[in-house]
Parts: sequence; structure tokens; C-alpha cells
Amino acid sequence: MKNFQIIRALSSGSAVTNISKEPSAMFIAGGTNLVDLMKKNVVVPDKLVDITALDLKKIEFGTGQVSIGALAKNSQVAEDKSIKEKYPLLALALAAGASQQIRHMATVGGNMLQRTRCSYFYNTDMPCNKRTPKSGCGAIGGSNRMHAIFGASDSCIAVHPSDMCIALAALDATVFVEGPKGKRQIKFTDFHRLPGNSPEKDNTLESKELITSVEIPENNFTKNIHYLKVRDRSSYAFALISVAVGLDIKNNVINEARLAMGGVAHKPWRLTEAEEFLKGKTVSEETFRQAANLSMKGAKSYGDNAFKLTLGPNAITEALTIAASK
Amino acid sequence: MAPKKTNIKKVIEDDTNSRRDFIKKSGLFTALAFAPPSLVMASEKKWDEKIAEYLETVPLSIEVNGTKHNLNVEPRTTLLDLLRENLQLTGTKKGCDHGQCGACTVHVNGTRILSCLTLASMQQNAQVTTIEGLSKGKKLHPMQEAFIKNDGFQCGYCTPGQIMSGIACIKEGHANSREEIREYMSGNICRCGAYHNIVDAITEVKEGGKPL
Amino acid sequence: MSKTSNINRVDGFAKVTGSATYSAEYKTAGVTYACLVGSTIAKGRIKSIDTKKAEWAPGVLAVITHLNVEKPAGYEQAKQRNNLGQPLQIFKDDSVRYYDQPIALVIADTFERMQYAASLIKAEYLKEEHTTQLEKAKDKSRNPGGDRAKDYNRGTEDAYKTAEVVLEAEYTIPTEVHNPMELANIIAKWENNKPILYTKSQGVEGTRKSVGNVFGIPPEDVEVHSEYLGGAFGMGLHTWPYEIAALIGSKKIGKPVKLVLHREQMFTNVGFRPYTIQKMGLGATKDGKLTGLSHEALAMTSNYEDFTEATVNMSRFMYDCANVSTKYRIAELDTCTPIWMRGPGEATGSFALESAIDELAHKLNMDPIEFRKRNHAEKDLEQNKPWSSKYLLDCYEAGMERIGWKDRKNKPGSVREGEWLVGYGMGTGTFGSYRNPTTVKAKFLADGNLVLQCSVNDMGPGTATMMTAIGAEITGIPTENVVIEMGRSGLPKGPTQGGSATTSSVGSAVHDACNLLVSKALGLATENPTFKNIPITDLTFANGSVSSKKEASKSVSLTTLLSANKLEELAVENESKGSEEAKKYSIYSFSVHFVKVLVNPNLGKIRIAHVVSCADIGTVINHKTSAGQMYGGAVGGIGMGLMEALEIDHRFGRPINNNFADYHVPVNADIEKQEVFFVNKKDPVSNPMGTKGLGETALVGMAPAIANAVFNATGKRVRDLPITLDKILEPIVATS
Repeated sequence: MKNFQIIRALSSGSAVTNISKEPSAMFIAGGTNLVDLMKKNVVVPDKLVDITALDLKKIEFGTGQVSIGALAKNSQVAEDKSIKEKYPLLALALAAGASQQIRHMATVGGNMLQRTRCSYFYNTDMPCNKRTPKSGCGAIGGSNRMHAIFGASDSCIAVHPSDMCIALAALDATVFVEGPKGKRQIKFTDFHRLPGNSPEKDNTLESKELITSVEIPENNFTKNIHYLKVRDRSSYAFALISVAVGLDIKNNVINEARLAMGGVAHKPWRLTEAEEFLKGKTVSEETFRQAANLSMKGAKSYGDNAFKLTLGPNAITEALTIAASK
Repeated sequence: MAPKKTNIKKVIEDDTNSRRDFIKKSGLFTALAFAPPSLVMASEKKWDEKIAEYLETVPLSIEVNGTKHNLNVEPRTTLLDLLRENLQLTGTKKGCDHGQCGACTVHVNGTRILSCLTLASMQQNAQVTTIEGLSKGKKLHPMQEAFIKNDGFQCGYCTPGQIMSGIACIKEGHANSREEIREYMSGNICRCGAYHNIVDAITEVKEGGKPL
Repeated sequence: MSKTSNINRVDGFAKVTGSATYSAEYKTAGVTYACLVGSTIAKGRIKSIDTKKAEWAPGVLAVITHLNVEKPAGYEQAKQRNNLGQPLQIFKDDSVRYYDQPIALVIADTFERMQYAASLIKAEYLKEEHTTQLEKAKDKSRNPGGDRAKDYNRGTEDAYKTAEVVLEAEYTIPTEVHNPMELANIIAKWENNKPILYTKSQGVEGTRKSVGNVFGIPPEDVEVHSEYLGGAFGMGLHTWPYEIAALIGSKKIGKPVKLVLHREQMFTNVGFRPYTIQKMGLGATKDGKLTGLSHEALAMTSNYEDFTEATVNMSRFMYDCANVSTKYRIAELDTCTPIWMRGPGEATGSFALESAIDELAHKLNMDPIEFRKRNHAEKDLEQNKPWSSKYLLDCYEAGMERIGWKDRKNKPGSVREGEWLVGYGMGTGTFGSYRNPTTVKAKFLADGNLVLQCSVNDMGPGTATMMTAIGAEITGIPTENVVIEMGRSGLPKGPTQGGSATTSSVGSAVHDACNLLVSKALGLATENPTFKNIPITDLTFANGSVSSKKEASKSVSLTTLLSANKLEELAVENESKGSEEAKKYSIYSFSVHFVKVLVNPNLGKIRIAHVVSCADIGTVINHKTSAGQMYGGAVGGIGMGLMEALEIDHRFGRPINNNFADYHVPVNADIEKQEVFFVNKKDPVSNPMGTKGLGETALVGMAPAIANAVFNATGKRVRDLPITLDKILEPIVATS
């Protein structure tokens, strides 16, 4: 690893100011992804701004929403009593990610900025447009079992790896950021982006912007929820496919549905068409299958990941069924 | 490699005093950056290493197993390498160096974390407990005793990480069933496959109810 | 049960306190840090290599490549490529033989500086076309020669083809990687022109020999320390280029060099279980008598060295069948040389054989255990010898009982628990019991301790604990007074730890040496006035004292005996080896893994709900450590069965998942319930203790047990490992 300067920021404003000075400077908090990437020379910053001293760790319940500080730890959120009660889908998704040690280190903001697990991205001697623009995509025509079936491009078929973000996308969260140009909000579903011709950009953060918090509006998805994670071993593995489901069911009728998938696209993949379809329908496995099949419109495989075309609708059906039965 | 003690305040915080310090240093960086030939000479004459030693390290005050250390560390040094290579505490193991195996698990301020993904320079005033800090002489920690009794290991290499994780697993309240233990211990890979006995050991300690 | 049959590991305290010292952990004054830089192509030549930036980087002490290396004296000697004869000669020339082959060694004063400097090295290559895919090298396959790999034929070749019921199937296992938790690592130094290595080796004497060969020095001049190994599972059976590189580096800079491979390099540079394609042909009568069996295997090796294993050999003797033929072939690929991985060829072979047996049983509509029983081999038909002992049928019974085999239905997919499809499967394993000549020195010290010395090491099975137990049993000295000195050169020569032969070899040597030592103590006692006129046959040694059998009051402690004779210790050094009698028998361990799986066919999810592992390993010296081996073998088999595969991007000839996040090994949550059963009956001829060996057979048969259980649950027969979820996914048919 190349050595770097490290600066400890004491306020979010000064963190942004400090980082603005150097082009290759980056924020660091939990470090679970960044340190790994630095060890692999995938990311080579000259300066790190340590933001762990900032006052962004709180989980605050207000009227109509909860605000989660960007520095709140994954485990802290997953095990927060009120989160478990009011936003159980988020707690479930968080607990499905990584290992407890990593969840103790990783922050909410950092989790959103997690880079893809694509092997070609991680290995600097392989082509990867995301890591080295214009070097090509190794995964297309290569090993792509983990890769996208939705929204990919000729430049990149990598997937977003987070579990937490799938739940946040389903729950209509909003991201609060602070940057050299001031503060702004980004709809969670607009936060991550599709690769297009610039896969080097994972999200819509502007250069040197700092995530300060995430807000989730209050909702009725407290009972009939599920986070289904399908992976190659029982724990401590990235999702091949995951499904976040929130159902608001009254008298066996679905008032409102939320559905998002992980492991299928460059961003958390919200299934709005299926959500609309489910609205007002009576709970039944057949309805769930129809919703699942609807969700797969436009899905495309790249070889090794063809199984996701079968697994996808099965996982959605399964997750909906489990959620409805709770 | 003996850790050097220092009183020079080199960690750069964004208060006025240290900002001056920072500007001074970044000025020097720039000067070096614009003078490659002198860098080469610096390398040959070894005087770059003296500069480097000043520029490339930050002071770190850290408590490990109850002992306070005042050190100079490079910002890039991980807590794992600091423990193993600088403090000679080799009980904490390197299994993958990328957060994928759990062998390097230690407690920082009472929480289990992976020391391989932790920059030592970010652990100012942290209290670290490693496997070496559990026993008092010949008197073992209950979890260590349970691992021996239940044969929770074979080669022993993942064992320190398993034990640190096992203690935390109980303290966190995640040892209420064998199933829960299995899930919350899945961040610690044991290639010898001693999982059955590891779960036995943790269950026994949890049920024994001794203070951890 | 004897007093020592359930003792705790004697190295337990060291291992749970972090004080056990693994190779790279020896405190070494002035140690420097090194790493290897690997090639980024799979085949070709190094056109140029730019090391300048690395050399100028702070703290760098040396950068060594083929251009500036001082070649070890032994490099000149051409060796044969067969039988692991010629390891890669690191930095010998500009040729690149596999992806990530070391092309440079970087040494610096700190770990961080070394790592950074290594990242500055850039090479250019003249690429050549590579082959990393076994299917594409099929037509260049050949018989590797040697006795064990010879084509075998008993009875009529291809008799299976004309049987009443015929099964033909092809099975594939991918490359799997040992991946012990401890990375391959070494501290290398030179003193008085003699190398000293603290390294991860399964055989101290073997490493001395191979290092001696490379540097052109006698093995006696090579000092090797390998006391604690953080697992190895076979990867420590070869001396690898990284060890030679560290020695070259240390010699060059005149300082100790510490070199620890990255986890990524553990997949590319220190061997693996080879990708193997197997063809099975089985024939039986309608009532389930095997009439013909054919087993052919094609395995990969490297382009510079032949590696072979006993993949097809188990098929020759496992079942009672008159007509059996086996063929074994290897083909060269542009990779590092494979090396035996736990259960080695037998684990690979058993996947094909035990899957095929299950398939044929299904075709016969017969319970697979009943089918096996009908073909139970009462003697070894390959060697035409009687078994020394065989309690395989006991293993079947015990396993069936414990797993709940009665709940199994022959028709796949017919048992459910809630949403889950339930499947039961089993697989038989076997492994030869070997005994290698071993020297052990046993000493009584005046302080009452028994010291046992042998250069054998312990990669995890509990060798020191086994030695302690046997020593304590023979001498009556309490286990806490037994001191084991092992794992380094200079001690009496022990065997390499491998092939499940350690207990049989070293245990026997401890047994023999301790008996001789007790006799020697008794002999010494006859000269003592207390025992005047008492014949040696009337003396007994117990609790650290010699006493008269007839007059218990006549007793002299060993301490007194030693001091009376002005001795500090009483010692015996003895070489122990197998008996002629044993050669008349076929000595094998047998194991059976029973597996209950729960399968969600919509998600392809397989849960290992229950595993019962039964084994006939002769006498069980220590139930605790033996059970540990068996639990671990089953977990290794879960890896093999469900998740482990080194994936290669053949366009680049490069592994794509060479890390612990993408190459999955089982975690704690992957196994829900495990049980172990040992027959624990003494083998009458294997060795004085009657043991037969466990470490390898503990894994053999587990992968097919899982595959068979998955078939029983789903009706899906997976013939290419691992059984990942995509292979059993079922499309849900849309109802609209």
C-alpha cells in the first residue's frame, strides 16, 4: 500500500474543506472496503480524511421519519430496538451482510459507497472499465456468475454488493450530503446509478461530497416484511440475488407493496411495476408469481449468470410468500 | 523495529495550531514532488528515510492488553501488522489480510473487529484486547478453558480469532441457541472444520454464566 | 477406555493463549520483510522487468529477479519431471510457466515498505499461447508411469457393458485449494553458510533433503524448524519456490528474511487438488450383484512436473467384483504443480465411485446400503490378501441408526419437512494404513519427566497428544509429566506428516522406545541393592518407580535409581518399522459419511441438516482428537461437495476467485448437526497399538454422500462438483 497523509476531521464542514484540497483525497470511516481496496492497489489515495470523530453516529426518531447518521455502525442500526420495531426490513438486511466483526466496523455511509465485488475490478492486472476507464470489461465473456441481469451496459456488468441499500431503496429513503457547494438531498433510488458509458461512477455523489445521514419516512412495513438473501454458503457471502419485501396487508388485501432486488444490477433494483401490480390484490401465491414474472421484464444474462433468470422470479415469489405469512 | 517513543505532535487536526504544521509539511511534500533527481539522491544517501520517518509517520497512543504504548506509526500500518510485527504480539493471526476470514479478530474498546482492515493510525487512545490479554499467567479465561475442554480447534491458527469472537458473541447477546451462535460465529473461518466443537465451547461458557 | 483415551490436547494451552509459535512468528533479530511479485501472464517469456522504482523506494534492501539472481548450485542438475521430481526453479530464467509465477523478490526493512515497493515492479512479456483447461488438453494425455498408475485389469475388460443393468457416467471435480488458515510462510537465514528455515513444512526431513538438493549441500547441513503448522492439508508436502526464494534473498542480503504469501498466492503457488474428469462404467445383475466395473481418470499436472495420485485405485478393491479395470492419465496445463489435498486421489475417486454406486442402486430400485452389502468385499481382490480387519458393516449399521435411515424413501423427492425436500445419502471412504520407519528417543529424567523426541511435526491432528498418550500408557508416567520435543531437525528422524500414517509410524516408535526404556530402567534396577536376587521378570515399573511384583514394599523411584548410578537421564533411541507379518495383509481404514440434506428447489438452497460420520480406524488412541479429525473431514467434504472450485478465466489463464471472499469454504452456519462414531476395534496386525489411520479417510466419501443425498431429495443427479444452487434450481412455472 502506498503511504498517505491522514487528517482527523473534527467537523463535517472542515472534513469537506480538507478533502477539497487534494484531488486524490478520500474520506475514511469504517475502512472495511477502502482499506481492502488500498491493499489491492485498486484505490490509491494520497490523503485520507478520517471522519470518525464527527458527530454523525446518532439514530434519531422524529415525527414521520428516522434519521440515521452516516457514521452509525451497521451493527448499531441492525440491533437498535426501535429500528427493529419500526424498520425491521432494514435490520434484517443489515444482519444479512458480511460478518458481525465487519458490521461493528462498517458505517451506514460507507456501506452505501461499497464498491462492487467483481473480480475483474479487484485485480489490477485485468481489464475493468470501472477501475481503469477504457480498459475493457473482463466480465463480459468472462467469469460472470455474480453479475448483473438488469441495466448493465457494454462497459460494465458489475453489481452493487450491499444488502442494507436494498432495504433502503425499498423503504424510500433519502440521502443527506454536504459538499463544497453546500448541503443537498438525494432520493435513495437516485443515489446509485447504472453504469452506462461511465461505470467508474457508482453513484451520483459529486466530487468531495460527504454523506451525513439517511432518512427513512415512517411506514407500515413493520410486520409483513422479509429480506431474502440467496448466496453460495449459509453466511458471510455476497448475495447472488437478494430480495427486500415490505407488504402492508389488511384483511388479506395488499394496500401497498415495496420490492427491491440486490445482486442483479449496478444499483439496488426497485421493482416498481410489481409493486403497482400487487396494490389492491388479495394475497395468493399465484399473484406473487405473477408479480415476480412481471419483475423480470428486460432481464438479460451473460453466460455464467443465466441461472439468475430462474432464481430471480423464484426468489421474489419466495420472499413475498414469506413476508405475507408473517 | 522497536517502537519509538515521541512527544512530537504530528497528528494533524483541523485546529489552528496544527493547520500551520500541516501547511509546512505539505509544502515540503510539494518540494520533493517537483524534484525527482533530488529524490533519487535522497534515496541513495538514505536521507529520504529520515525525512520519511518524520513525514510518513504519525504519533499513536494506544493501550494494548492494559499496557499503554506511545508509538510512531505509518498511516498505512494496520492494527494487525502493528500487533504482530511491531509489538511482537503474534497471537493475533493473519489469515487473509482482507477481512475475509476473521483470524485477526481483536476487541477494540470492547467490540470485536477485524484488525487487518483497521488502520492503527485511526485508533488514537483505543483500548485493544488481544488473545494475549485474556489469561492471567496460567489462569485461563473461561472461553480458553472451554476451547481446550471441548477441543474447539486442531491446528490452532484460527483459534485466537475464534476465542475473541466467541467471547464477544456471548457479550453481544448472540449466543442464545446453537443456531444463533453458528450465524454469529460465521465470520471466523476454521479450515480444520472444528465448528461443532467451537459451538460446544461457546454454549458451555454461555450456560456456565461466568463473568467474561 | 484407558486413562489417556480422552485427554485434552497437550498443546492446547499454547494454542488458546496465542503463545504457540508458527513459522513467521519466531522472534528473529534483524529480520527483514520479503514478498514475491508474480507474473501477470500464464505462459511466455519476460521481455523486460523494471525494478528501478522498487529499488529506490524507501527501505528496500534488495530486488531479485532472474537477471541478477545468484543461482543456487543445485539448479544445474537436471532432474526428471516424473513423480514430483522437479519443482519450479525460481528465477532460473526468463520463462513464465503459469499465472502468478514469481518473477521478483522484494526485500525491505519493514512490512509496509516491502509491500509498497513490490507494487512498483512492472514487467513486459512475450506472450505464448497457454492451456489451462483440461478438456482442451485431453488429446495430449498420457500415463505417468510408475506402479500405482499402471493400467489395471482383473477378469474381463469392459464386462460391465454386457451386464443386465448398466450405468455409464462422467464425473468432474474442479481444482480445489487447500487454503490452510495460516498462510505459507518462512523465516530464512544463513549461519556459517548453512541455511536455517522456520517454515510451513509437513516433513522436516523432506524439506532438509529438497533444500539441500537446490543449494548443493548435504541435508544434514540444513536446519529446519516447523513446530506448529496452522493447518496444511497437504500443501506442506512439497518444498515450494517461495521457500527457496527466501533463502536466496537471505543469502544475498546477509540478514534473516521473513516471507509470508498473500492469500491470493495460496491459490496459485502452493499446489491444489487437481481438476479431474472421471468415467465410470458399472454393470450388475438385476438382483444387485456387481459384475463389472471400469474407472478411468484424467487429471491435470503442470508443464514442468508430474503429479499423480491414487484416484482410481479404490475402485479395484472396494467392492466384490470379478471384472475390474482402471486407467489413470495426466495432461499438462500451464499452472503450478498440484499437490495432494486431504483425502487426496481417494476423495476424488470416491466421488465418482460412490456416486456411480448410488446411481446404479437407484437403477436397480435398491437401497444403496443394501446394494453395497451385497457387494461387500470379504477380502482385498486387488492384492489377493485378507483384510487385517474390516468393520465397514458396523459403520453402515451405526450410521443408519443415527441418521434415521429408516425415514429415507428410495424414490427421490418423496420426503418433506415443511417447505423443504428431505434427502438422505451416504458415501463410503477408505484409505490405506501405512507405517513408515521412525526413530524416537525416549528419556527418563531425574525430575520424573518422560521426554519423547522425534522430528515429526503436527499440522493439527494432535500428534503430540497422541505421543503423550502412548508414552504415558506404556510407562505409567502421568501425561502432564510427558514432554514432547518435535518439529525440528536435529531430533531423531521422524516421517513426513501425511497419508494418515503418523500415529501408526510415530505412535509405534514411541510405543517401542518406551517399552525399551522401561526394560532399561528395570535392568538398571537389578543392580540396585534393594532388588538383590530378584530376577528382572519379577520387577515392574509403575508410577515412576521400579518395584518388586511379589513384595510391593521393595520399591525404588527412578530419581533414586538415576542418582545412585550418577545418571542425569536414562535414554533409549530406537528405530521402529512395520513387521513382515503385516505384509501378508491388506490394511485399510474404512469410513462412511451419512448426510441428511434439506433442499429448497426454488432457490437451489441446500442445508446440511445432519451428518453422521462413522469409521473403522482400528484402535482409537484419543477419542477427542480423533473426533475432531472426523468432524473436520466432514466439513472439508462439505466444501468439496457444495462450494469449493477454483474458477479460471481461460482467456487469461488466470484464477478469478483466488481470495477467501470469492472462493467459498464452509463457515460455521453451513453445518447444523454433526455426530461421529468409531468402531474402535484393535487391528491385529497393523502396528503394536492396532491403529489404522484417520486424517484422510475422514474426508473420503463425504462429497458423494452429499451428492447422493441431494439426488434423494430432488431427483437431480449432479456429476460435476461443487453442487452450487444453479445446478438444482427448478424453474417455477407461471400459473397465468
